[in-house]
Amino acid sequence: MRRPTGLLLAFPAILVVILLAAVFASVVSVSLLQADPGGAVFHGPASLRNYTRLLGSADAWRSVSNTLRLSGIVTLICLVCGFPLARLLARASSARTRRMILFCLMATFFSGGVTRAYAWLIILGNRGLINQSLQALGLPSVALINNETGVVTAMLNFVLPFFVLTLFSALRTIPDTLESAARNLGASRARTFLHVTLPLSLPGVAASCFLCFALSLGAFLFPEMLGGGRVQVLATAIYDRIQTTYDVPSAAALAMLFLLLILCLLAVLGAARQVVTRRAT
Amino acid sequence: MGASCPLEIEGLSKRYGQHQAVDGVALSVAEGETLALLGPSGCGKTTVLQSIAGFVTPDAGDIRLGGESLLPIPPERRGTAMLFQHYALFPHMSVGGNVGFGLRMARVPKAEARRRVEEALRLVRIEALASRRPAQLSGGQRQRVALARALVIEPRLLLLDEPLGALDQNLREEMQTELRKLQRRLGLTTVMVTHDQHEAIVLSDKIAVMRNGRIEQAGTPLEIHDHPGSHYVATFTGVENLLPATRSSTDIVEIAGTPIAGLHAPQGTTDALTVAIRASAVGMRAAGAKPSGLLGTIVFTQVLGAAIRYEVALPGALLVRVDEARRGTAIWEPGTAVVLDLPADRCTVLTGNA
Repeated sequence: MRRPTGLLLAFPAILVVILLAAVFASVVSVSLLQADPGGAVFHGPASLRNYTRLLGSADAWRSVSNTLRLSGIVTLICLVCGFPLARLLARASSARTRRMILFCLMATFFSGGVTRAYAWLIILGNRGLINQSLQALGLPSVALINNETGVVTAMLNFVLPFFVLTLFSALRTIPDTLESAARNLGASRARTFLHVTLPLSLPGVAASCFLCFALSLGAFLFPEMLGGGRVQVLATAIYDRIQTTYDVPSAAALAMLFLLLILCLLAVLGAARQVVTRRAT
Repeated sequence: MGASCPLEIEGLSKRYGQHQAVDGVALSVAEGETLALLGPSGCGKTTVLQSIAGFVTPDAGDIRLGGESLLPIPPERRGTAMLFQHYALFPHMSVGGNVGFGLRMARVPKAEARRRVEEALRLVRIEALASRRPAQLSGGQRQRVALARALVIEPRLLLLDEPLGALDQNLREEMQTELRKLQRRLGLTTVMVTHDQHEAIVLSDKIAVMRNGRIEQAGTPLEIHDHPGSHYVATFTGVENLLPATRSSTDIVEIAGTPIAGLHAPQGTTDALTVAIRASAVGMRAAGAKPSGLLGTIVFTQVLGAAIRYEVALPGALLVRVDEARRGTAIWEPGTAVVLDLPADRCTVLTGNA
């Protein structure tokens, strides 16, 4: 008998899976019920009414489009800022430069999300560091929080390290002699990048964007704290439904729609990534 | 193929922090000639090669190809083609794409490019593999692709970085011969870097042995092979016998107290000498009834295949290695008394003791 050992080792994992399945099942079942206005009690009969109502609601669709748009913007900025940084990291000739950059990136992991959100409030706030500096220079102040600028800034701070570290490990696997070979064969710096570095980086870029987008989709803390209630994304919309109207079934239905949306998106992105990877190898 | 050019290097120096990688190297390679930079890792040979290709900017000195200084020219316009140590084939392109890359960069018209790629693939005999990816090729095939990719752009200078280091023994010998034939046929000026003395000897017209960023000795392969200029070169090129010797009153070199006929000690040197001689250059015959000359006893025999290696003990705990080509004669037994013959023209007298 050698099975019991394996089962024993798998036990914690099985427990977690069962727990998650139970939570998931309860969310699904609650999403089919109805809540009495103002009360915390919900009852049957089970129906898809919450879903049909949501599909017809402009608010719900706006939070969907906000979520996708913000995640897209964050991913795009990550790509523009993160690619050069990851490349610098992968090609840094001195170990000290590399350690420095890595430390700066890792340092953001040391502080919790709430701490970071407050830090950004202090920096970006109406009487924050930036606006005080602007005033000192006699310039008009700008609104950097309670809008998408603040949300995107803080979200970038959260996802950029993940993006850079993921891309860095991918770029490191591309030997730099390939770039030397291209130069040697008559390719300028730009054409070397275009014909060699970029195509070989694509799988890594795809993986990093994928991660970055997925992380942004679920963001709650930063839209909530830096959006000041004016930036509604799916996660905050779900939260508001529970906190302001106690409409747990409707929140559950929105959560399920969110999950479906993410699954669809991930499937599409995953397929795209596979195509890119296959073309590159 | 392309118009090959002579290469001249003058006073080339490069320092990395505290480390002087290349220290005043001067070299010249005639048109169509192959020069091998030979040395252990860290001797600066790769830095010289990278300076020629333009991947390293030297601190001082000049590199001229066909009379024109290469230093102000970016790597992509130097007209040098390099064969990288691990081939550096582009994994995302087919064999044809790899070989055609240089032509694409030079914006050669498609039809002509296709013709030249086919020609290059035929030259290295892999025309059937054009649509494969590098990952689907064996080591020897990759080597050929890299070679075709370098040759197709008709370079003015071919650079080889440890060209055959990654191949196994049999394939290596085959490629050595093939590479040498190609060089002769195309008449390409070539600079190669290697730590393998055998590879340097079989592939080049001239060898420069490097040590600590300087050239220790330069000469033809046979000169380097037979007459190392220093203990370092002798050791590095694997000279089997470095025998302590002395100077006689008539300036004849003596080994184990026996004068070597015709071998004169260099003028004005110390009394402590070393004689360097290859094992294959030492003659050996049975000691007769009244032996004279360098007398010794065989203490060890080893079959090398085409030759037999003997270790012969001389008086004074001296050990001489002798490789005797097999000519149907029986193998000498250990314990046999023999007389050794050291031809003066195959000996090199070095000053000092090893």
